[in-house]
Amino acid sequence: MSKELTAFERSDGRWGLRNHVLILPLHSAFSATARKIADESNGAVAVSHDWSGEVDGDFDRIVKTISGFAANPNNFATIFITIGTPNELGIIELARKLGLSKAEVLNVAELGSMGKIAEIGLQMANSLLKEAKAVSRISAPWSAIKLGQECGGSDALSGITANPALGVASDRLVELGASSVLGETTEILGAEHLLAARAITPEIGARIVETVARYERSINYEGIDMRGAQPSRGNIEGGLTTLEEKSLGAAKKAGSAQFSGVFEFADQVTKPGLYFMDTPGHDTEQLTGYGAGGINIIVFTTGRGTPTGSAIVPTIKVATNTTMADAIPDLIDLNAGTIADGLKTLSDVGGELFDLILEVANGQLTKAEKGLHHEFSLSRMYNTIIR
Amino acid sequence: MSMKGFDHGNRGIGIRNHQLILPSVVCSTRVSSRIAKEMDAITFAHQHGCGFIGNDVGRITDFFAALANHPNVSSTLVVGLGCETLQGNELAAKLLSKNKSTNYLVTQESGGVQGTVNSGVAAATELKAKYPTPQVVLPRLHLGIDLSDDNIKVDEIVSALTEVGVDITVAASHKNSGLNFSDLMEAGVHVILSFPDRNQPPSGFPLIPTINVASGSPLHTAISQDFDLSADSSPEEIMEKINSVVNGELTKVEAIGAGEIIAGREVRSV
Repeated sequence: MSKELTAFERSDGRWGLRNHVLILPLHSAFSATARKIADESNGAVAVSHDWSGEVDGDFDRIVKTISGFAANPNNFATIFITIGTPNELGIIELARKLGLSKAEVLNVAELGSMGKIAEIGLQMANSLLKEAKAVSRISAPWSAIKLGQECGGSDALSGITANPALGVASDRLVELGASSVLGETTEILGAEHLLAARAITPEIGARIVETVARYERSINYEGIDMRGAQPSRGNIEGGLTTLEEKSLGAAKKAGSAQFSGVFEFADQVTKPGLYFMDTPGHDTEQLTGYGAGGINIIVFTTGRGTPTGSAIVPTIKVATNTTMADAIPDLIDLNAGTIADGLKTLSDVGGELFDLILEVANGQLTKAEKGLHHEFSLSRMYNTIIR
Repeated sequence: MSMKGFDHGNRGIGIRNHQLILPSVVCSTRVSSRIAKEMDAITFAHQHGCGFIGNDVGRITDFFAALANHPNVSSTLVVGLGCETLQGNELAAKLLSKNKSTNYLVTQESGGVQGTVNSGVAAATELKAKYPTPQVVLPRLHLGIDLSDDNIKVDEIVSALTEVGVDITVAASHKNSGLNFSDLMEAGVHVILSFPDRNQPPSGFPLIPTINVASGSPLHTAISQDFDLSADSSPEEIMEKINSVVNGELTKVEAIGAGEIIAGREVRSV
């Protein structure tokens, strides 16, 4: 029998698997101060980014990403650093609407200097951390788990070991009532018809196909054939031959459950079931988009190995092969290469991964969390040079 | 002006003596920051190097190469992950063709995070020992002016500086200081005089000291302490500040370690 799931219940009924105090700069110029506060605090986390208030074609996407990330249920509280422009204050409002109950605001124009921000921010962070510590985990339903699936640095074993093992764990979670999300539109290109056939309605199937077609149009519009850039050089060195082969392997992460719907980038994941979200394959943009959509735990399969993590969403790394898992052990949480080695079955490793997801959900730290890998990237659709 | 400089060989004579730990991909920014902290070197977070296509691959590679070849850089350690689009070894090879004081390493071949940090610190220490930097007199200063606020007139300060033999590049193509800083970096300026937009805070760039001059806007007035110079500074005061910064005084953003890079992109990420 599985162990019980415990989590932090938020005032709006959402569940957090972590209890972070996040320092979030609403302007790139405050990134250094946000990092400084987090570094000097008793355990707050911070992110850095390169947005400085531009209102261009990507404005809505950036606002959605930052506000959603701030409101992720894994955050006990978010401390915003702002110059106080209406657009920045709008992001804070939006985060509150999304369910962020503890939003603290450090307004630079009111406080007068970055030095003051750093000083007050540190006191504020430590006092919130103290409050956060006083909150306990309680027994939670399986629907508390919002799992994001990700792969990066794929190799020839991805589609045989780690991805299908994640599929086994995902199927089991979906059956129990959790949410599970497949993303990376880039990486299902060529496999979309197989996923569409698993949609609960023809309309949802058509949306999966259209999301991929729309993606390909947005790239072709730039005069580039995706098939010239994918699989990436790292994938080819890892033994993958074509984009379709990569996609067929990537889609294995989603197991065999039916798709209950399609999300746009960073849409809020509220209901149980298996979903597809339109995200870039770019690892940290996807991690960030998942966090913005309220996903509270991520499984990241990798063939080549990557240290990447999120400031607020625990990210479990699953190796596709034993050679890599042995060579870079401090960034791998589970080795699925044992399937290819003939030591374990797919169902064994799928079960181990399910158990690990539960342990991590209950508070066990991932390698990326221990290493303080807090990457954050804003996904953009448009040219950023002409502003 | 009498100006202290650091002879950085093919990179030129700089006004700072920074070792650069250059993450060639977002995935190695954390490892780079750990190495940089041990070495008291400069690094920065960014989101580039992978998941991108078309002209952006060459554009970002050139941007990183220009950063590493900047005259304020003493030596460069490129830190890659291994499987990314922008290959660290190719970037390093490109840099090495111009500057010997360059090395690179890759996390996937260095035993993981701790292994890369250890090898990185060793490699960076070796670079420092192997390529010492003689202190010299800076023969000619190259100043960059970020004119994000187009209401500001700089003719007076430009002519005063030109008169004393300072080369000047003005970047005014963008209303965004970050993008102007990138253009100025690629032009190889030693120091930046920034006039941010009236509704923007002061900001900085890694490697290049940035002197922020306030406008009289309500925001700038409210945070006047964060500016190096006030809106009513005379050309003499501006020149005096430039002189002190060139000779080692830290600017306000330099002192707090601020400095994000904003590298333009043509194509959506993939």
